[in-house]
Amino acid sequence: MSLVRVGILVEVLFGYMQATRSLPDVEHEARVPKNVLQCRAVSREINFSSVEPMEKFRIEQKVLFKGRCIEEWFFEFGFVIPNSTNTWQNLIEAAPESEMMQASILNGNIVIETKFFDDDFLVSTSK
Amino acid sequence: MGLLSLLRKLAVHTTAGTGIAQYRILLLGLDNAGKTTLLKILANETDDHMKTSPTRGFNVKTVQTDSGFRLNVWDVGGQRNIRPYWTNYLENADALIYVIDSADKKRLNESGEILFDLLEDEKMAGVPLIVFGNKQDLADAASTADIARSLNLHTVRDRAWQIQGCSAATGEGVQEGVEWVLKAIRKK
Repeated sequence: MSLVRVGILVEVLFGYMQATRSLPDVEHEARVPKNVLQCRAVSREINFSSVEPMEKFRIEQKVLFKGRCIEEWFFEFGFVIPNSTNTWQNLIEAAPESEMMQASILNGNIVIETKFFDDDFLVSTSK
Repeated sequence: MGLLSLLRKLAVHTTAGTGIAQYRILLLGLDNAGKTTLLKILANETDDHMKTSPTRGFNVKTVQTDSGFRLNVWDVGGQRNIRPYWTNYLENADALIYVIDSADKKRLNESGEILFDLLEDEKMAGVPLIVFGNKQDLADAASTADIARSLNLHTVRDRAWQIQGCSAATGEGVQEGVEWVLKAIRKK
C-alpha cells in the first residue's frame, strides 16, 4: 500500500476531528466511526481568525502514525485581512476501499499536527 | 452536482503521470451576491446552505480528485471595507467567477464598475470571466440579457467570457457555469 493511499484514508479522520481540535497546544482524542471509511469523498475544515494582518500565511499539516510522519500537507493562503475570520475546506476523492488501510490498524495510532506560519514565523501549533 | 462529480464527469486529469495540476478560481462580487452559498453548493453542502453570514475574510475550498487535479476556489468577502483587500488574492488566478445579485437592480451599476476595475488589474490580464447572474429564482430578478447590457459586457474583448443565470438557492444553472469554467481553464 502506498503512502498516498494511507494519506487519503487519514483525510477521513481530519473531517471528524475538526470539532475537537479548536484548542491549540493540547492533544485531542477523536473517535471515528468505522463506516466513515467507506465514504467516496472526504472532507476536513479549518477555521481561523486573526486580528493582525498577515502577509504570507500558510499551514503545514503532518499525519503521524505511531509517531512517524506518513503524510504531509502544505497550503499557502497568502494575505490575511486584519480582523478577519477565514475558512478552508479540503475535499478529497477517496481511494477505492480495497486500497485503504484497515481501521483496526489505525485505531489509536494517528496524531495530526497542524502548524500555522506567517512566512517563517510559527504562529500556532495544534495536535 | 458538486465540484468532485463535475471533475470526474469531465474526466479531468493530469496528462503526465504523477504531478498534481493545481488551479485557482476566484469567486468575487458585491456583498450579499451569494458567493458563499455558491461555494457551499459546489462542495455539496446542501443541508445548511441557506444559513450564511457576511464573510469577513475568505473561504477557500480545495477539491482534489484521485487523478491528481486540484482546484482551489477562493470566496473573498464583498463588503465595501473588505473590497480593497481583493487585490491581494488576484495573483495566479486561472478564472474569475463574478457573482451578481440579479434582484439588486439598484447596485447593478456599482457591481459593473467594480468588475471593470478588477479586469483592469494587470494580475487579471487574460483571465477567463464568467458572470453569474444569481438569484434568478426571485420574481424581480433582472434577466441575464439585462445584466449584460447594464454591465456593458460586450466591451470585454481581452479574454474569454460568459454570462450565466443561476440560483444558488435551488442550484439551477450552477453546473453549466462551472462546466464552462473548467473548460476555459483547460484551454488556457
